[in-house]
Amino acid sequence: MTGRHIALRGINKRFGALTANDDVDLDIASGACLALLGENGAGKSTLMKVLYGITHADSGTISIDGVQQNFRGPFEAMAAGIGMVFQQFSLAPALTVQENLLLASPTAPWLHVPGSRALTAVLEVLARLAPDIDPRSRVADLAVGERQLIELAKVLNLNARTIILDEPTSVLTPTETKRLYGFIETLVADGAAVIMITHKLADVEACADHTAIMHRGRMVHAGPSADLSRQQMVELMIGTASPATADRPSAPASTTPRVIVRKLAADTETSSVANIDLEVCAGELLGIAGVVGNGQTVLADALVGLHPLRGGDVIVDGHSVAWTPKPRIPDGRVAYVPEQPVHNAVVPDLDLSANLGMRSILQRRFWQFSRQQQDADARALLESADVRPPEPMRKAGTLSGGNLQKLVLGRELAGAPSLIVACYPTMGLDVAATRAVYRNLFEHLDRGAAIIWISEELDDLLDYAHRIAVLHGGRIVGVRDWASASRAEIGDLMLLGALPQCA
Amino acid sequence: MDEAAWILVAGWVAAILRSATPLLFVTLGETLSQRVGIINLGIEGEMLAGACFGFAVAATTGSPTLGLLAGGGAGLLLSSVHAGLCVGLGANQFGSGLAVWMIGLGITSFFGRSFVGAQVDAAGSIGGSWLEGMPVLAQLLDNLSWTAPLAFLTIAVAAAMLYRTRPGLAWRTVGEAPDAARAAGLSVARIQVSGVLVAGFLAGLGGAVLSVDYTQTWAQEMTKGRGLVAVGLVIVARWNPWLVPPVVLAFGAAEAAVLRLQAGGLEVSSHLLAILPYVVALAVVIAAYIFSHRDGGMPQGLKGVFAARS
Amino acid sequence: MRVIGQSQQAERALTALLSAFAFILVAMGFFAFIGEPPFQTLLAMVTYAVGDSYSLSESLVKTTPILFCALAAIIPARLGLISVGAEGQLYIGALVGTFVMLLAVPYGGWLLMPGILIGGAVGGAIWGWLPGVLRARFQVNETITTLLLNYIAVLLVSAAVYGPWKDLANLGWPATIAFPDASVLPFMFGTRVHAGLLIAVVAALSLQVLFRYSRWGQGLDVLKGNARVGRMMGLDFQRQAIIVMAFGGVFAGLAGITEASAIQGRLQPGISVGYGLTGFLVAWLAGHNALLAIPVSFLIGGLIAAGDTLQLFNKIPASSAIVLQGLLFATALAVPGLIRLWRARRG
Repeated sequence: MTGRHIALRGINKRFGALTANDDVDLDIASGACLALLGENGAGKSTLMKVLYGITHADSGTISIDGVQQNFRGPFEAMAAGIGMVFQQFSLAPALTVQENLLLASPTAPWLHVPGSRALTAVLEVLARLAPDIDPRSRVADLAVGERQLIELAKVLNLNARTIILDEPTSVLTPTETKRLYGFIETLVADGAAVIMITHKLADVEACADHTAIMHRGRMVHAGPSADLSRQQMVELMIGTASPATADRPSAPASTTPRVIVRKLAADTETSSVANIDLEVCAGELLGIAGVVGNGQTVLADALVGLHPLRGGDVIVDGHSVAWTPKPRIPDGRVAYVPEQPVHNAVVPDLDLSANLGMRSILQRRFWQFSRQQQDADARALLESADVRPPEPMRKAGTLSGGNLQKLVLGRELAGAPSLIVACYPTMGLDVAATRAVYRNLFEHLDRGAAIIWISEELDDLLDYAHRIAVLHGGRIVGVRDWASASRAEIGDLMLLGALPQCA
Repeated sequence: MDEAAWILVAGWVAAILRSATPLLFVTLGETLSQRVGIINLGIEGEMLAGACFGFAVAATTGSPTLGLLAGGGAGLLLSSVHAGLCVGLGANQFGSGLAVWMIGLGITSFFGRSFVGAQVDAAGSIGGSWLEGMPVLAQLLDNLSWTAPLAFLTIAVAAAMLYRTRPGLAWRTVGEAPDAARAAGLSVARIQVSGVLVAGFLAGLGGAVLSVDYTQTWAQEMTKGRGLVAVGLVIVARWNPWLVPPVVLAFGAAEAAVLRLQAGGLEVSSHLLAILPYVVALAVVIAAYIFSHRDGGMPQGLKGVFAARS
Repeated sequence: MRVIGQSQQAERALTALLSAFAFILVAMGFFAFIGEPPFQTLLAMVTYAVGDSYSLSESLVKTTPILFCALAAIIPARLGLISVGAEGQLYIGALVGTFVMLLAVPYGGWLLMPGILIGGAVGGAIWGWLPGVLRARFQVNETITTLLLNYIAVLLVSAAVYGPWKDLANLGWPATIAFPDASVLPFMFGTRVHAGLLIAVVAALSLQVLFRYSRWGQGLDVLKGNARVGRMMGLDFQRQAIIVMAFGGVFAGLAGITEASAIQGRLQPGISVGYGLTGFLVAWLAGHNALLAIPVSFLIGGLIAAGDTLQLFNKIPASSAIVLQGLLFATALAVPGLIRLWRARRG
């Protein structure tokens, strides 16, 4: 197993106005694990997609052992022994584990005789990686972490010698994470090159021999991991901008609950929450922490009356806001900032004016012959919410993520709501947009609104929330006051659902 | 039961099988098309085309086999319009299917006029002198042509293909997760086109079995919505070829039972009785929606075009 | 910001123009295929559609039910539902309207005409309501149910006119008694064009105004675009699904009863020559815009009328009109995709 060397030189990639990669160099050596570190949007994934042949660089070169490569697509990269495991998996959820592996394996036989040697051969890598996954189970029934391992098995079945993992530990349980670290070590010992895209320092410390740090599209550091302290890594990742984007909101003035959630239970086909008891005071920001996929979406929908309850109730200012068979006419009491606003909060095909005006649609007179008033209101709201461009006639689907989120906040918060439920409101937003979202939300806290903020960024919650409730497996497994909350304790609750027993 | 009763049952089973054979082919075709993620309402037109041109060729050449093949070919040809529109040009699948239906309806009315009243030979019976001494079996097989066993054989081959081979896995992946299929290096378009064309051939063949082998006549618009019934039965059969025979035969049995009732002296308008297949189809579709998991078995790739959106 | 709207309109106009051009080519190809001189036959069709006042009036006669049926498809489409049930709604409309006529004929009076029209509307509405409820309550796909219900409706009419409603004076011909003059909508310009055309056009115009300027129309836009967001705004998809399906049925039902009473004079099998499906095609071609549906209905009405005349004078079977409709539909579906492909190739 001779070591090979992959060199990326002068990679540039622009998406419209955004420079994702700005003259980036990177060296990848065999028999080592490289951590590609950086914040969300630093350009790590783009760089690796260029290497994998999915994205084509505007300029720059890739060479393997000095031979320049020109991958036209991932298949040519795969043929060169490069494999990538994405955050968004390319598995067919309705098919079984074995079928997914067969599909990806070029050596799979034409005839699939159940139980034959040829069929079980594709399972060998998986059996070492995750012995407890039943190859006959449907991928849809597996946990996210298990699916990632199947993706990894797919890549390894292709005899990849350079393996790119995109944020692999973000969806894994601690046990799975530990097993993955172990597996990476085995691969590296075998002479493979592993590149781990991550923003977690724990990943770097656990298994990275080298670290490359990106910030705003530029490579700001590359070298052995041991060269940097934790503090230095953080500084390089975050750059010179101040890490805190806003001040912690002042403590709530009253201790009388404004929002009461009683024994709430709700189910979807894939997730459920039960026994949720929460109280939120006027001016209080309650954070809900948890790993994605623990029932956040159905909880948020149930809180605002968009999803039927199996039991319990949600009371705001003494009125139930829970789901009713007949939709309730919005009274401005509850504001909802759902995740993925482009899918869940707007009608992309309608213009901004209609999207802003739709909240009052049922309070209008039957005829609305002139949209002048609505357009004028919309323009005022677009200006005050700083949506760019402030054009009421533009289709909502054409807005960027940050502007779309501002639009949704502008619409939802216009009516001085008593309860605001915000689900990952800053996901995918840049620093300026994030700050605008926080400022907007916190103004309503000062006004006396109660906010339930669902997030997976524990640091944000620790910085801003008055209290943090931890959601695990559809239950609230603990509530901590900000003064007494410890990062480690909440992390354990998020990942394990309970605190480790002291011996 | 004594032998006479068994002979009666055998006759009844043969009748059901004969009337269900066209629908077996068509429902299998639609199942395969939907498995690759393409709804084909044009199957009605393809079936008509098969019935018309299959009949024409059988009447002209005197060979039912050639007629059946020609019917399949006509269905395949017409389905290529659907494939081109949906897969090649990204047109709406419902719209495209209706366009194909209209073209099939128009063309068969146009060219089929000269064949109204023509004579054809049915496909050969699978019974014969070798059944002497087995009156029950004879009653069954004498009344069946080789198209019925062919239908079951085709279904078995299709199901084995779908669940037990590499191309079958590719087809299912394209229907379930087009993105995953693309990531695995499959040509989604090519597989979808093959699915639509195979469905077209089977629909045309089913139509030809109807005109050449079952009714042995050609009449304008003779399929009377059987293709659309097949679209409904696919849902009931959970997009599973193995479930096509039981679903289609149950449907055929319900239809036949009603006809028996009428023959038994029940005084009902023949038009009201003719409604029953559609009512049965409607009822089973509704029941399939209500009593099973709503999307149970539906290929994921279909949901965008087909599934309830509320 | 107006520029966006304008460029979109220009885009649509371009697509429409190219589609029309492509259709003419395809139609000529079809004529050549059936061994007719392509250009002359095309010209003959245009003449037979709008060449003189008689041709024009016959085109308008066909336009009426087509426009009604197009509205029956357009209204559900505003909610994103694909209803192909106009044909069945047309038949049930005719059935219920005729039933009203049969009941009321002994009493006569000026109420007869509005009575049968209301009967037609109610009949169509019931046949739309049914798949609407199935969709709203059980999420049963409305396309499949409406298609199956079409066949049931046609057979119900057959059962009635071959059975209890058959007028023995017809010497075995399956048809009811004739509609009395007092029950028939007035004819216009001394032709077979009846006031149903006016009703259809006024309905189309009113619907367009409703879609654009009423709370209801704007609510439908929201629900169609994103039913989840609609619910956040208090809009009820289930309720609207039932409403649009039944409301659409009203117009197809009017098509049925006006065809039976004014054009055929009695209820008999085959009152529609596929108007329901044609209406669906028109709705699609018009981009589910009720205003545009008026000229498009006239175009297709002319096509069908010309097909009839073509059969009479040129001995080309009238079913050529069905083929042409199918080809027109296919062309209209293909052209936007072709434009997209062409642009992608040019980069």
